[in-house]
Amino acid sequence: MGCLLPQSPHCWQWATFARSWFLIDARMQPPGKIASMCSVRLQGKHKPIYHPLSDIGDHVVVMNTRHIAFSGNKWEQKVYSSHTGYPGSFKQLTAAQMHKKDPTAIIKLAVYGMLPKNLTRRTMMQRLHLFPDDVLPEDILKNLTEELPQPREIPRKLSEYTQEERNAFPMLWTPPEDYRMK
Amino acid sequence: MAACRALVSRAVLPLHFHYVSRGVMLTHVREKKRWMKAYTLIMERKRKMEGPPPPKPRSQQTNFDYHAEVEAFGARVQERFSLELLKTAFVNTCYLRSEEERRRALGHDLETTALNLKDNGELCVHGQEFTKGFLSDWCRGSFPSLPEEGVAAVVGHLTGSEVMCHVARNLALEDLTMSAEFPVPDETLQGTFFAVIGALEQSSGSVRAGLFIRDFLVTQLIGKDLFDMWKVVDPMGLLVKELSRKGIALPEPRLIRSAGASTVLPLYFVGLYSDRKLLAQGPGETVLAAEEEAARVALRKLYGFTENRRPWDFTAPREQLQKPSAQALSSR
Repeated sequence: MGCLLPQSPHCWQWATFARSWFLIDARMQPPGKIASMCSVRLQGKHKPIYHPLSDIGDHVVVMNTRHIAFSGNKWEQKVYSSHTGYPGSFKQLTAAQMHKKDPTAIIKLAVYGMLPKNLTRRTMMQRLHLFPDDVLPEDILKNLTEELPQPREIPRKLSEYTQEERNAFPMLWTPPEDYRMK
Repeated sequence: MAACRALVSRAVLPLHFHYVSRGVMLTHVREKKRWMKAYTLIMERKRKMEGPPPPKPRSQQTNFDYHAEVEAFGARVQERFSLELLKTAFVNTCYLRSEEERRRALGHDLETTALNLKDNGELCVHGQEFTKGFLSDWCRGSFPSLPEEGVAAVVGHLTGSEVMCHVARNLALEDLTMSAEFPVPDETLQGTFFAVIGALEQSSGSVRAGLFIRDFLVTQLIGKDLFDMWKVVDPMGLLVKELSRKGIALPEPRLIRSAGASTVLPLYFVGLYSDRKLLAQGPGETVLAAEEEAARVALRKLYGFTENRRPWDFTAPREQLQKPSAQALSSR
C-alpha cells in the first residue's frame, strides 16, 4: 500500500508530540487496575518517545467512578488514614465511608500513589479528570480521542440471562417434585 | 604542554612563552619582557576592533601550484579531463575583464601582450543543457508517474544555485575558479560547475559525464521530500486531477481521529477514502490543514516518492545509464 509514516513536514512532528485524551469507564471495575492504566498514560509510558523529563503524558478522563467495584471485603477493611499534624487530628476512614463522602476520592488517591514521587506528579494529577457519573461536560467530550477497553470483564447477573440460557445450563442433579429449596 | 600553558596563563610561572603552534611552546626566553603585556593587550584590542581578517582566496595563500591543483582535481574526482578544456572551464568572463583592466591600468599594450585565455561561456551553456537533459531523463525514468511540473521542479532544485554551490564548494571548485571577486558569487560558481561538466563531457564522453552528475548531483536528493522542492499550492485539486485521469473514484475526506479539539493545541487526523478504501491519512492542527496533508501523502504515494521506497542503486555504473527508459529500479 505504501508509506503512511511520517515524512518531513512539521505536521508529523506535531502529531508525534500532541497530547491525546483517553476515556475510561470505571463501572464495575477494580479501582487499582483503573488507576494503573491511568498512571501509565499520564506519565506517557505508553509512547516510544517516553522520557521522565519530557512531559509527554496524556489526559485521562475516568467516568462512573461512583460505580467502582472493590474485590473481597475491601469496602469495609481498606482504611484511608490522614493526619494534619495537629494533636487529635488522626482520621481513619474505611473505603465505604470515603466513597460516600467523595465518590472520586478512591481513584484519585490510587492514581496519586502510583505516579512517580516527584514534582511532575502534581502536573500529571491536573491532567486526570474524574467524574462520578457518565455525565461529562461538553468541552471534555469534544477533546476525547479514544476509549480504552475495560480491564475487568463484567460478569452477568442472573437476571441478565434469558430463560433459554438458564434452561440450557447443565444441572448436576434433578431434584424430586416435592423438594423445597431454601 | 597544556599544563605549562595553564601555569603561565595563571601567572604562576613568571615567564613569557614563545607560542609556535598548538602542540609546541618554547619557554626558553631570556627574561620577562616588560613590554610584552602592553603589546599583547594592544594587539588584542586591535583584533577585536577590526574584526576577523577578510577571507583570502587559496590561490593567494602559500603553497599553491595551479597546474598541480587542476590535475589533482581530476584525480580526486576519478575522471580523466583534457587539461586545457578544464582550465578553460575555470576562467570566467568577469576575470578576463578585470585582468584586461588591470593590464591597461599598468600600461601594457593590449595588442602585443593579448590575453590568450578563452572564456567558459560556451562550455557553461553546453554543460547546463546536458545536465538538465540528463537529470530530466533520470527523473522520468525513476519516477514514471511524476508529471512534467514535478520533473521540472526537481531538476530546477538540483540545478539551482543553492545545491550546485554547496556541491561545488565541497569539491573545492571555489579554489580553482578564476573570477573577479572573492568570495566567488553564487551565479559565477554555478556557471563554473556547469562549465566543468561541459568540459568533462567533451573530454570523456556523455556516459562518464552522466555518471559524474549522478554521483554528485542526484545524491543531493537523498532524504529530501518531494514537496520541499515542488511548491504545490492546491494538493487536493492536483490529487483529484490525477485520480480522475486514472479513472479511480474521487477522494472523500473523513475525520479519523481528533485530540484536544477545544484546547489550544488540537490535532486532527483526516483520511481520504476513494470507493470506501483508505488512500492516505494525514495529521494537522486544523481539519483543513489535516485534509491538505492527507492529499499530499496520497500524491507522494501516487508518484512513488515515499520515504520507504526502494533506494536508487548507485553501484551499477554502465547498464542503467545506457537504457534510461527501461529501468524501474526506484519503484514505489
